[in-house]
Amino acid sequence: MDESSALETLPVFPLRNTVLYPYLMSPFSAGRPASVAALESALAREDKLVVLIAQRDPRLEQPGKDELYTVGTKAVIKRMARSEETIEVIVQGVERIRLVEMEQSTPYLRARVEALPVRLEEGAEIEALQRELLSMASEYLSLAQPVQAIDLRQVVAQFEEPMQLVYFLATIPQLDVERAQALLEAPTQMEALTLLHQYLAHELQVLKLRKEMAGKVQSGMDRQQREHLLRQQLRAIQEELGEKNPEEAEVEMLRQRLDEAKLPDAVRQEAERELSRLERLPAASPDHQVTRTYLELVLELPWQAETEDQLDLTRARQILDADHYGLKEIKERILEQLAVLKLNPQAKAPILCFVGPPGVGKTSLGQSIARALGRKFERLSLGGMHDESELRGHRRTYVGAMPGRIIQAIRRAGVKNPLLMLDEVDKLGRDFRGDPASALLEILDPAQNHEFRDNYLDLPFDLSKVLFITTANTLDTIPRPLLDRMETIRLSGYSDEEKREIARRYLLPRQREQAGLSEQQLIVPNETLMTVIRRYTREAGVRELERLLGRLARKVALQFAEGKTEPVTVYPAMLPEMLGTERFFLEQARKELPPGVATGLAWTESGGDVLFVEAILLPDEGSLTLTGQLGEVMQESAKAARSYVLSHSDRLGAERPRAGIHIHVPAGAIPKDGPSAGVTIAVAMVSAYTGEPVRSDTAMTGEITLTGLVLPVGGIKEKVLAARRAGIRRVILPAPNQKDLRDLPEDVRQEMELILVEHVEEVLDAALPGLAGRLRFEAGRSAAG
Amino acid sequence: MSILDDLIPLTRQLHLTAQERSRPLCWQPATDIYRTPEGWLIKMELAGVRQGDIEVHTCGRFLMVRGKRSDTPLRKGCSLHSLEISYSAFERQVELPVLLEPLRISSEYRDGMLWVRLSTRGER
Repeated sequence: MDESSALETLPVFPLRNTVLYPYLMSPFSAGRPASVAALESALAREDKLVVLIAQRDPRLEQPGKDELYTVGTKAVIKRMARSEETIEVIVQGVERIRLVEMEQSTPYLRARVEALPVRLEEGAEIEALQRELLSMASEYLSLAQPVQAIDLRQVVAQFEEPMQLVYFLATIPQLDVERAQALLEAPTQMEALTLLHQYLAHELQVLKLRKEMAGKVQSGMDRQQREHLLRQQLRAIQEELGEKNPEEAEVEMLRQRLDEAKLPDAVRQEAERELSRLERLPAASPDHQVTRTYLELVLELPWQAETEDQLDLTRARQILDADHYGLKEIKERILEQLAVLKLNPQAKAPILCFVGPPGVGKTSLGQSIARALGRKFERLSLGGMHDESELRGHRRTYVGAMPGRIIQAIRRAGVKNPLLMLDEVDKLGRDFRGDPASALLEILDPAQNHEFRDNYLDLPFDLSKVLFITTANTLDTIPRPLLDRMETIRLSGYSDEEKREIARRYLLPRQREQAGLSEQQLIVPNETLMTVIRRYTREAGVRELERLLGRLARKVALQFAEGKTEPVTVYPAMLPEMLGTERFFLEQARKELPPGVATGLAWTESGGDVLFVEAILLPDEGSLTLTGQLGEVMQESAKAARSYVLSHSDRLGAERPRAGIHIHVPAGAIPKDGPSAGVTIAVAMVSAYTGEPVRSDTAMTGEITLTGLVLPVGGIKEKVLAARRAGIRRVILPAPNQKDLRDLPEDVRQEMELILVEHVEEVLDAALPGLAGRLRFEAGRSAAG
Repeated sequence: MSILDDLIPLTRQLHLTAQERSRPLCWQPATDIYRTPEGWLIKMELAGVRQGDIEVHTCGRFLMVRGKRSDTPLRKGCSLHSLEISYSAFERQVELPVLLEPLRISSEYRDGMLWVRLSTRGER
């Protein structure tokens, strides 16, 4: 191109930090005197042309020829406006030029330049590169400024000059001046495209990474900032209202409570330490809440507070009598304890364990003891608890840690000497998380529990003033060491007469009240109560009885609600209509027993029960089969009984003394154990061998030895009551159990025929009337009976 | 990269949108096209352009006008205070629904406008 190689002399405007590409418009402002002068000179020209060349070092105020790049852009000034010191211009690049010679450097740079056109090429490669650049630039724009999306393709479509695309796309990423200059200096179109591709790829990657990092930081920042802002606003509002901010107010309140609280020195020290820690913690920290909860516990625990015991024995006796019928032994024990406390206030509280069947009033007895003593009552059930931490708490380091149930109960009670009832101590579980029974050992040991350390509290708390009462249905499942720490008191089942009294004094009034009836409206005579007790319930306690009385009361209430006015007296004859048919039959004992069946008595967790022992001879010789879920002790007891019977078979006059025998104890699905069925098994065997039936009105209990001695057994009261419930009036008991008969209510003793025996032959004598003639007692043995 | 380095190209981009940055190099005069009984009259707003600096061509159905506008030389002591008029090359193409070669072209410069007449009468 001949004409473009002609030299032109033009003013030079040095650029800092940027490059102007041909074809592109760009605003600039000139502040440096040399730049202003250069622009003035350009503006004075008819064609308004100026040369823009980037300076190598942007910090230079007055760059000379050597400080400028040699390649720049000739541009025409399209718009111009002045402000005080500066000239603002919008220029449009016209073509690329090379600086040939600097003609003058003051007052402004003026140079001779020659056009330096880019060598253009054509081909698929150029086309491909251009398209690729376009899509990269689009992606870059959509990432960098997603809001002001422009359709690059539309803009590009209007381009006429081949290099216009490259230069336009080069303004999209932010290129530093070196790279921009390198692009401007690219001698061919191909090189320019390749260079730009390289730049764009790099910038795109950087942008993506920045975006990714920003995204990560952003999500966390947004939430925190929001919370922070809201808190600041809240604080501002509170200040405006003259309130303190909640954290400060809270700490202040806690401090005030701490000052007022009566705490032991060690505890106070620890609490102060925690409080100062709380002050330093930001409210948002999870530890803040944990520490606050802990402090509240420490402040609420009754370190010193206690109630004064009511040591008025007469009053205590009145309360106990008013709340519970019977239970003489227990009431005595409580009154003894009261007396001890009266004489020695520092005495250690005993740990009582009430053992008895369900529904006999163990828990309510605890409540009335608390009332009699004037102590606070708290109760917690240990049934099914299998985690030691439930009793002793979790260490505070754990998330969601809580104090143990003991400390929680004390906190609820608000005094350090409440009556703490630990229900169902026999139903403690245990698993890999620990053994709560072992934790109870410490809690229930008066020698240790004055320094009980809850894991959560981590401060010694004095439990020695607490009156612990535990309850259990059976002692068998309580670990020995634990049982050893407790004083067990048995609550056996109630007799029918006792139940009647309980019903009359407590249950009936309570149910009447619940049904909204007055005393006059519902009258239940004694015989009706007796019928309900005997024919509708079979239990050691009174729960079912109370339910039935409740039903009775509701039926009557319904009648009144429907308009009845005159009082209702419930006679026994009305019961089937009100409670349904009788559930149990008094003559529950079998009317006639075939040979080989004897009536035994068993003690169960729910009181006593009647059981039958069945024996039958087998055709083979010498075998012994035992069925009915018999435990090991009971099986051995059966073997002993059989050996005794075999050794005396000749005297008993057995028809087939060597015959095998099968013994079964229904109900077959219920496991049974214990030695107390020994005599019953022996009697059943003798009956089977001799073919003589056992008296059906007679029940028996007692352990047997090989020599035929009858040894004492437990649960006499329950067993006798069970026999009586079943309609049996004769009971054979071991003679050493005579002392237990005192527990029986007077009327029972009167009504029942109780036969005390020392030797099994006396049992046979009493139970097998048909044998009396055949039995040949030894003279001495007979005399001893 | 310092913040300042980042900001300079950024502000530059903010001032002009992509469309503005990429204007065609030549400015385009506003143009009116009239139908006349003789043929066509095309008027172009070419104020301040010296007549000698205007070229008119036809090619097929296109009428092309191009040239450049130069400022008047400034007297000594004068300077521009503000500039809005483009003093540079201009180019405009107008497409008409007929072939233009057979038509007679005459142009005249009147009141800052270029009048180009295309008439069927008096064919070449």
